[in-house]
Amino acid sequence: MTQPSRQPASASVGALSHIYGEVRDLPLAAPITPVAVGQPFRQYICDACGYIYDEAVGDADSGLAAGTRFEDIPDDWYCPLCGVTKSDFELYEAPSIDALRAQASRSAPVWNAATRHQAGVVIVGGGRAGWQMAEALRALDATLPITLVSACAADVYDKPLLSIAMARQMDLARLVKETGADAARCLNLRLLAHTDAVRICPDTRTLRTTRGNLRYDHLVLAHGAQAALPPALPAALCWRINHLGAYQRLRAALGEAGKDVVIVGAGLIGSELANDLALGGHRITLLDVMTQPLARWPSEQAGAPLLAAWQDLPILFKGGVQVASVEKLGTRYRVTTACGQRFAADQVIAAAGLATPPRLAQSAGLAWNHGIAVEPQGLQTSVERIHALGDCITVNGQASRFIEPIARQARSIAAAITGAASVPYEAKPNVVRVKTTTHPLTLH
Amino acid sequence: MNPADLPPELATPTEPALLAAVRAIAQGPLAEQAFAIDRGAYPADVMRQLAAAGAMSAHLPQADSTPGDYGLAIAAMAEAAKVCGATGFMMWCQCVAGLYMQASGNPALTGERLARHVGGETLGGTGLSNPMKSFAQIEAFLLKATPVEGGYLINGTLPWVSNLGPDHYFGAIAAVFEDGASAGREMMFMLRCDAPGVALKACPEFSGMEGTGTYSVHCKDLFVGSDDIVADPAKPYIARIRGGFVLLQCGIAAGIIQGAIDSMWAVEGQLGHVNQYLEDRPAELQAEFDALVGRIMKLAQTPFDTSTDYFIDVLDARAHGAELCLRAANSALMHQGARGYLMSSEVQRRVREAQFVAIVTPAIKHLRKEIARLSAEEMPV
Repeated sequence: MTQPSRQPASASVGALSHIYGEVRDLPLAAPITPVAVGQPFRQYICDACGYIYDEAVGDADSGLAAGTRFEDIPDDWYCPLCGVTKSDFELYEAPSIDALRAQASRSAPVWNAATRHQAGVVIVGGGRAGWQMAEALRALDATLPITLVSACAADVYDKPLLSIAMARQMDLARLVKETGADAARCLNLRLLAHTDAVRICPDTRTLRTTRGNLRYDHLVLAHGAQAALPPALPAALCWRINHLGAYQRLRAALGEAGKDVVIVGAGLIGSELANDLALGGHRITLLDVMTQPLARWPSEQAGAPLLAAWQDLPILFKGGVQVASVEKLGTRYRVTTACGQRFAADQVIAAAGLATPPRLAQSAGLAWNHGIAVEPQGLQTSVERIHALGDCITVNGQASRFIEPIARQARSIAAAITGAASVPYEAKPNVVRVKTTTHPLTLH
Repeated sequence: MNPADLPPELATPTEPALLAAVRAIAQGPLAEQAFAIDRGAYPADVMRQLAAAGAMSAHLPQADSTPGDYGLAIAAMAEAAKVCGATGFMMWCQCVAGLYMQASGNPALTGERLARHVGGETLGGTGLSNPMKSFAQIEAFLLKATPVEGGYLINGTLPWVSNLGPDHYFGAIAAVFEDGASAGREMMFMLRCDAPGVALKACPEFSGMEGTGTYSVHCKDLFVGSDDIVADPAKPYIARIRGGFVLLQCGIAAGIIQGAIDSMWAVEGQLGHVNQYLEDRPAELQAEFDALVGRIMKLAQTPFDTSTDYFIDVLDARAHGAELCLRAANSALMHQGARGYLMSSEVQRRVREAQFVAIVTPAIKHLRKEIARLSAEEMPV
């Protein structure tokens, strides 16, 4: 028990005396003699305000010397804090903190702070996986509280269109099918746009964000992956095209007239962007460590026919090279390879693959295997009440960063969360449609 | 020797002597003055005692070359802040002023001057609220430095700088201007309050923590020579110390939170039967707090990690500390009721201290904005 310190107590006496309109007139000249003989000193607590009279300390302001026994205090003595009389005091024995804890936990209701209010489901990610998750949940439960946290505006669009927007001469503004705010209204969910998820605290079932903390009953991670950036490619000098916002800014930076663009990485995204930007009149240099584009699918031998299809386009493919540095020279860039070749560019795009950002998963201690490791059928992470889907997950260490599985993943998770009949997810080999419009390919 | 081979009482890690020494000061002379400090008394004697005990230098490399221990510095600050949040805050000021001097590598700052600072013979603070907000793109630099022969002339006013007195000093950053135009860099220096051209002016009255030696500092053609330069340019230096700078602040929050939880248990015997209906009960808060402390202590092992991810973690731990401070202090008042609302009660004082932790730079809103800024994927401009 912390006792009010003597100084504040005496300060209050003055104030309270003033309130009560009386002045203390205690016989200071003849203080009461302490009668401490053997008995340990005891404490008495004021039932009204909690002030503790400690026999060992006394109450100097009232003329009670240290050691004055409670029974020896005159009956007209009153509490120095609140003014009630001696009869309102009772013996006080400070309980042990362990006893108090035990008692408090016995009287605590079975629910804890995390379940006091229905927190519902919190989804992290405003891309396709996030929205598919919200739709799947809403389809099964009309009233479940759903909160969607998105680092961007969470506008709904088809990401594959970013690879063919030039070929189709699409108006950039029309890529957005529905604003995030409209989609949120439609699904009757709370959208926290332009909000970064910072940390998961599984103990309190809280998601910490840059706009405050959200309690959850279930958390679904759908935040996707980020473009991996090899050390030779500084973030401030290289575009990575993995969402609409960055794509729009790249297009604005390119402008209408043909520009020199170096694309590092000739996988799916790099090849599709090279194809599309070349059709838009830009001069492309496409670099890759492998000797052919799309070399990830060696059995398909897709590289040679693709290069043949590109022969009339302004695409220069340089295989077998490793980028050593990117520098800014005035308004242009210089890309230098390890073997000493140099390429000048107005813009540089890195398309060297995707990686799941580990921050949130690490903060919650989620099992990790090249991405957030989830259980194959239920997509449950290693921590209870946390599921994950889309580009951020791996099943048995394998990522599958394609569109098709997302809706099926969302349905499995929604069933598990709402308690509907289970819909086990089945990982299938994906057929990849390469949107190189001059030579569309299907890879298996 | 394997600790498992020892008898249990010996295998248990013993509490560092520093914490016992700080606790003795905190619960003795500091406890007696806590009310007066809140109302405006600057506790120079307690600050000197705490410094002499080593409470404001545990994070610095020690005389015997042992590396500094940020965790211990935070724990020491918490011991004092449990009793008086204002003193915890002033300890942080003294701690970071020492860090500025030590990390400057300037022999004029690291030698005798640092030794006197560490021993508490001299006291100092930090005026980095404005520049930290400037680096985070929240506001403009308030001090301007113009290069002159042998140093700089400093002009401008900082609105409030704490742990100051007529003969104190503090770390400050000024934007460098050459020929009337921004030179695109900043310089950091130790500003001596008694130097010609410096005036300390009293601040308007705050709702609490009035004894923190907080003044507005007016500089008119203050000359700063090489002996007082901490870093020029300042930015790379700040990138190195920013983690430790923010992390150390967690000690203030930690003390206030634990003090608040303790005051809830203090009335549990009498009031548990009604307090059970409140949110944020002490056991819940303690569990959340213990997890946060674990996180802070882990971060304290690598205070000079300059990675963005590390700094985001530090900022978030600091934000969590401030949020928990508000909840714990407020809940303690709900638990104590009228007795906690007495002007003499530490419980209501702690509510105001917690509010201070939440608004002092970096405030919760600054922390979140900076986390958002650092979280954005960097792209070409």
